[in-house]
Amino acid sequence: MEFNGTQTIAAPRHVVWRCLNDPAVLQECVPGCESFVAESDDEFKAVVVASVGPVKARFKGNLVLSERIELGGYRIVGQGEGGIAGFGKMTATVTLADTGDDALSTLLTYVAVAEVGGKLAQIGSRLVSSVANKLADGFFKRLNATVVASAK
Amino acid sequence: MYETRYIRPATLADAVAFLGEHADARPLSGGMTLIPTLKQRLAAPSHLVDLSHLSELRGIALKDGVLRVGAATTHAEIAASAEIAGAIPALAGLAALIADPQVRNRGTLGGSVANNDPAADYPAAVLALDATIITHARRIDADAFFVDTFETALAEDELIIAIEFRLPRRAGYMKYRHPASGYAVVGVFVAEHAGGVRVAVTGAGASVFRWHEAEAALHENGNASALDGLSMDPSRLPDDANASDRYRAHLVQTFTRRAVQALTPGVAGHNFA
Repeated sequence: MEFNGTQTIAAPRHVVWRCLNDPAVLQECVPGCESFVAESDDEFKAVVVASVGPVKARFKGNLVLSERIELGGYRIVGQGEGGIAGFGKMTATVTLADTGDDALSTLLTYVAVAEVGGKLAQIGSRLVSSVANKLADGFFKRLNATVVASAK
Repeated sequence: MYETRYIRPATLADAVAFLGEHADARPLSGGMTLIPTLKQRLAAPSHLVDLSHLSELRGIALKDGVLRVGAATTHAEIAASAEIAGAIPALAGLAALIADPQVRNRGTLGGSVANNDPAADYPAAVLALDATIITHARRIDADAFFVDTFETALAEDELIIAIEFRLPRRAGYMKYRHPASGYAVVGVFVAEHAGGVRVAVTGAGASVFRWHEAEAALHENGNASALDGLSMDPSRLPDDANASDRYRAHLVQTFTRRAVQALTPGVAGHNFA
């Protein structure tokens, strides 16, 4: 299941790129993030409480950045194991471009693929696409707000 | 199921106070979504605070062109209410189409609306009828209430006590029921008010939404022919293993047309608009 979205961010591309690679910003953008520890420049361990509708489960997992193209984008993979709840994995390819003539704002485009397994998939199959979409949209909206705040 | 404690507060004020003091407590109404979730161990609230016996959340009353329905009213009570069938027949009809008899006898209006499942039926009625959600703290317009999948304007410990429906001139609800769950694959509620027509679609998107193009067309001409040539853009709709975006768009068009054909006024004396 693939879905995509865009965010127009009121900050120049180099600022957006710096934020995309800043662990503190990433932690800020993961909804329900309880802990976030850098394993290396590209890999982070996280504990996330996912709260969607009636479901509230704690996931342990990691966030991995790869295929970096300086100022152009990267691939971000987040996956988590929620014990009895099952597991979830989201892969997003992020691309940055200037918008307008003045290059003062940036167009972020993402194409994401979500996978779930275990009980979540079993009972939530009709909801997976809208929930995954909401989580990805939430992540990039928060990124947008965080970048704009840090650029001020 | 994880261990939890069952609490039955005597008053609404007690319920609000308890939820305010216990961050991991959850309000329980009919429990038709929450209890199966707990049985699957997908949530572990410290307490379940049962709202279903609170007198403040009960009652059906029609006054000055407004139908007020208590949040703890079950789907079966709404389906069987002569008062609702007289005032807004489409609302009583909608309640009779929800899930199965077991769910209709336990599930409640307030519970369904607070949960905001993207395929639930009531959100379409609440949005199309331009209803007002009354909580213990404030009044919220339907247009500002439904935010996203399972997300509403309610604060964490805010409880719905009633919903007030403005009586429409005519209203109709048509739904393509999922054959297994009874959830709306697509459900469309059309309501004709003095000021214009509102078309609310459930099941087809991340959350209930209004189809403004259809509203504008129906405002000009209240017949189903107003929808001729009007199509829903599939790119706005989810595309997944359950249904493709084009199939969903087609269902929205078809069921909007059927809802318009099914528009029914309330009986004389109830029809204030």
